[in-house]
Amino acid sequence: MSARARSFNEVLLSVEGISLSFGGVKALTDISFDIAKGEIRAIIGPNGAGKSSMLNCINGFYHPQQGAITYKGVRRSQMRPHEAAEQGIARTFQNIALFRGMSTLDNIMTGRNLRMKTGLFWQALRIGPAEREEIEHRRAVEEIIDFLEIQHVRKVPVGQLPYGLQKRVELGRALAAQPELLLLDEPMAGMNIEEKQDMCRFVLDVNDEFGTTICLIEHDMGVVMDISDRVVVLDYGRKIGDGVPDEIKRNQAVIDAYLGVGH
Amino acid sequence: MLYREAGQFKTSYGADQQIFPILQDRIFVLLVIVAAFLVVPAIASPYLYTEILIPFLILSLAAIGLNILVGYCGQVSLGTGGFMAVGAYAAYNLWLRAPEFNNLIVVFLFGGLMAAAVGILFGLPSLRIKGFYLAVATLASQFFLDWMFARVKWFTNYTPSGSVAVGKLEVFGVQIDQPVERYILILAIVVVATVVAKNLVRGHIGRSWMAIRDMDIAAEIIGFRPLRTKLSAFAVSSFFIGVAGAMWGFLRLGSWEPLAFDINRSFQILFMVIIGGLGSILGSFLGAAFIVLMPILLNQLPGWLGVKMSTALLSHLEFMVFGAMIVFFLIVEPHGLARLWSIAKEKLRLWPFPH
Amino acid sequence: MASSEPEPAMLGPFLETLIGGLLTGVLYSLVALGFVLIFKASGVFNFAQGAMVLFAALTLARLTGAIDGREVHLVHFIVAAAILGSALAFVAWYAWREYVARGGGAIERRRILLLAAGGALIGGVVAGAYGKGSWPLWLALPATAAIMGVLAYAIERLVLRHLVNQEGIILFMATLGIAYFLDGFGQTLWGSDIYKINLGLPKDPIFLLEGVFEGGLLVDPGDLVAAVIAAVLVVVLAVFFQKTRVGRALRAVADDHAAAQSVGIPLDTIWLIVWTVSGLVALAAGVIWGAKLGVQFSISLIALKALPVLILGGFTSVPGAIIGGLIIGAGEKLSEVFLAPILVKQFNLAGGGIENWFAYVLALIFLLFRPQGLFGERIIERV
Repeated sequence: MSARARSFNEVLLSVEGISLSFGGVKALTDISFDIAKGEIRAIIGPNGAGKSSMLNCINGFYHPQQGAITYKGVRRSQMRPHEAAEQGIARTFQNIALFRGMSTLDNIMTGRNLRMKTGLFWQALRIGPAEREEIEHRRAVEEIIDFLEIQHVRKVPVGQLPYGLQKRVELGRALAAQPELLLLDEPMAGMNIEEKQDMCRFVLDVNDEFGTTICLIEHDMGVVMDISDRVVVLDYGRKIGDGVPDEIKRNQAVIDAYLGVGH
Repeated sequence: MLYREAGQFKTSYGADQQIFPILQDRIFVLLVIVAAFLVVPAIASPYLYTEILIPFLILSLAAIGLNILVGYCGQVSLGTGGFMAVGAYAAYNLWLRAPEFNNLIVVFLFGGLMAAAVGILFGLPSLRIKGFYLAVATLASQFFLDWMFARVKWFTNYTPSGSVAVGKLEVFGVQIDQPVERYILILAIVVVATVVAKNLVRGHIGRSWMAIRDMDIAAEIIGFRPLRTKLSAFAVSSFFIGVAGAMWGFLRLGSWEPLAFDINRSFQILFMVIIGGLGSILGSFLGAAFIVLMPILLNQLPGWLGVKMSTALLSHLEFMVFGAMIVFFLIVEPHGLARLWSIAKEKLRLWPFPH
Repeated sequence: MASSEPEPAMLGPFLETLIGGLLTGVLYSLVALGFVLIFKASGVFNFAQGAMVLFAALTLARLTGAIDGREVHLVHFIVAAAILGSALAFVAWYAWREYVARGGGAIERRRILLLAAGGALIGGVVAGAYGKGSWPLWLALPATAAIMGVLAYAIERLVLRHLVNQEGIILFMATLGIAYFLDGFGQTLWGSDIYKINLGLPKDPIFLLEGVFEGGLLVDPGDLVAAVIAAVLVVVLAVFFQKTRVGRALRAVADDHAAAQSVGIPLDTIWLIVWTVSGLVALAAGVIWGAKLGVQFSISLIALKALPVLILGGFTSVPGAIIGGLIIGAGEKLSEVFLAPILVKQFNLAGGGIENWFAYVLALIFLLFRPQGLFGERIIERV
C-alpha cells in the first residue's frame, strides 16, 4: 500500500505556538501544526523528541505554558482531561494503561462512561433505566468487540492477556467513546509483523468506516509512510518537518535527525 | 457433577449480566437466605445470636462498606471506626431528640446519611493525596471523631459518664427487643444492603471506581472525573459503614461510649476486608466470619486442652495468634478467602475430570 | 492568647512550651526515622515500628530488672539467655559466612553449627551468671540490641521474604499483623506491668535564661539528654545512608528492587540490615521514652504520633522526618496549652486533649497545599 493521495479541507484541530517545560527542561518549543478532519496524521521523531508530551497537551493532561489549541473552532489554552474526553477526543497510551483488574468487556464499557447517565438510585436497584442503559451500551460494546475480533477474551481480566491483545483492548476502549479525534500513542510498539498488520488494518478501517480523524505516534517508518496522510516531525521539542510522506522522506533536517548529525 | 454450567445458554445480554449467571449458584444463595430467615430462628440460642450471628452480620456490612472504598476504589482508609461512630451517634441523637421518628429503619438511614456526609468531607483530601499518605490522613478523621464524641457533650446528651444508652426500639410500630427479633431485622437490612452493593459494583458506578483504582490517570483521560468518582466511593462506603455503626450501637451494644469505635475497630474491619478479599462482596462476609469466630475459638482452646490461663495472658496470646494468623494468611493467599473460594468453585466445575 | 501581640509575660510560658514540644518532637523524629528507613529501602509501610519500640523498651526494662517490687522470675532469664545465645550464634555464623564469601577459605557446615552451639552456650552462661539479679545497663543494652537484631532477622525471614512483589497494601497489612503479634509477644514474655527504665539521668529541672525571664525557663534535663541522643543518632544514620557502601546499596534498592538486584546487590541482606537498623532505632526511642514516661502498652500507640510527622516530612526523606518531628512536637504542645483552653471554653467541651488529633489535622492541611510533603520532589506524572 502506498501513501494515499487524499485532500482535506476542514481543519479539526490546530496547534499554535505551543511551548511546554518542566522546571528548567524544555519539552516542547513553539510547535504549530494542524490536523484536518478525516485524515490520518502522524507525529514522528527520535526518542525524547516530545511526541507524547504533544499528545498530552492536546488532550489536556499537560498544560502548556505558551500557545493555544483550537479544536472544532474553539480556541483554548488549557482544559482538563475529562473535558477533552467530553468533546470527543479519545486516546491510547504508549505504555498500556488498561484497568488491569477488570475484564475486557468492562474495560471497553468504561469507554462509554460519558454516555451513561443513570443516577445512583437506579443503579443501586438495577431496574428500569439502569438495566436498560447497561444493555444498550453492552450492545454497542459487543459491536466493537466483534470489530476487533476479541470475542474469545470478553470476560478475561485484561492483566492476563498477551501484549498484542491488550493493545487491541485499549484501542477498543478508545473507540467505545465514538471519538471524533483519536490519538494513538505508538499503537504498534513491540508487535510482530502480523500483529502490526492487524493493527494497521484496524486503524485504517476506523478511519474509513467511522470517518474518525486519527493522530498517531509511531516509530515504524514503513507503517507511518504507508498509512498516514500527513506527517509532522519533532526533534528536541522543535518541529523540523511537516508535510505529506513523500516530502518528509526527502527533508534534509529529518534525515539528519534520524541519522544523528550533530546539533 | 452437580455443579455444571454446560447447557445453560444465555440468549440476552440481560441474562448474561445477572449477579449469579450460573443456575446452581442462584439456588444455593437462595437456600442460604431462606435458611437464615427460617431455619436459624428455630434452632439458635441467645448466645449464638448475641456473640456470633449479630456481630457477624453487622461487621459484614461494615466490611462491605470499607471494601467499596479500599477494594473497589483503591483508597485505603483507617478511619472506619470513626465513621461507624458518626452513624451510631447520629442515629442516637435522632432517636433521642425526635421521638416521632422512633422507627429503626429511619434512624439507621439517618445514621448512614450523616456518615456519608462526613465521609465526603474527609474524602476531599483524596483528590490531592494518594496511597499511604491518604491512609495516614484518614487516621486524622479517626482521631478527630473519637475526640469529638468524647468531648462535645451535646452528642452524648450531657451524660456525666460520656456513655449513651438506647431504650425502647421499634420498626414500623413493631417492638424490637429479643435477640431473635434483632437478628431478623439485621439480617433483612444486610441482605438488602448486599444486593445494593452488588448492583453498584457491577454497574457503571462500580466500573468508575475500579478504573480509578487501577489507573487513575487513564481514568481521568477517558472522561471519569476523579473527585466525583472518589467522593461517590467515600459517600457510599461511609453510608454502609454508618448504618453498620448505628446497628452496632443500637442492636449489639445497647449502651456504648466512643471507645467502642476506636482505632482498633478500624483495624478489625480492615483485617476483614483483606483476609476476606479486596474487591469482593462475598469476601467481606468470609472475612467477617473469620475475624468474629477466631477469638471465640481461641478463648475455648485452653478449656478444650485442659490448661488454665489467666485472662491477661489469654488476651496477650490472643493478640499473638491474631497477628500470626494475619501474617500467615497474607503469605498463603494475599487475595483472601474469596479467591480460595473461587478456586475451589473452579475445581468443582471440572470435577471429577480436571483435564 | 487574647491579644495578637504576645506580651512579655506570655513569652516565658510560650517559650517553655515550645522547648518542651521541640524536645518531644525529637522523639517523634526518632520513631519516624525508623519508618522512613524501612519505607525507603523496601517500600514497606511498617506499622509495627511502634510495637518494636514497645518490645525493645519492655525487654530492656525487664533485663535491667527495673520492676517495682516484683521478684524476677528465672524463666524470663532462661528465655532471654536462649534468645541472646541464638543472637550471638547468628552473629558469629554471619561473620563466618562473610569471611568465607570474601575468600577466607571454605568451611564445613558442621563447624558452623558447632560455632552456633558455642555461641548459644556463651549466651546462656552470660545470662545465667546474672540470672538471679538484674543486669547492669552496659550488658542489658547490647543484649536488647541483639534481641532486636534477631527479631529483625525473623521478620525478614518469616514474613517479608514470602511477600516479595506483593502490593503495598498487603505488606502494610502484614506489618499490622506483626504489630499485633509483637504487642502480644512482648507482654507474654515480659509481663504487662508498668516498668521504669532508669538511665541514671539527672532528674532536677534546670532553669535557662534566668536573667531574661522571671524565674527562668524550666527544662527537663532528661528531655535534653534524650534530644541529644536522638540528634546524634539522626546524624549517624544520615551519614550511614549517604556515605557508606551499604548506604548506597540501600538507596539503589529503594529506587528499584529489580534493577538493584540485577547489578548484584543482595536484596535479602539489605532488607535484613534495614530492619536491624530500624530495630535499633526503635530501641533508642524505647529507652528514651521508657525513661521518660515508663514502659507500658501505650508506648505502642504513642508511636502512632510519628505518622503525621511522616506525611509532613515525606515518607522517604530523612531530613523531612527530623524537621517534621520538630514541627509536630512543638505544634501539638502549643495547641494543647494555648488553643485547647479556648476551645473548651468556647464550645463547652468535656476537657481538652486536642493533641490527639491536632498533629494529624496540621499535617493534613499542610498536605493539601503541598501533596509531596516538605522535602519530596514534585512528581511529574507520565502516561
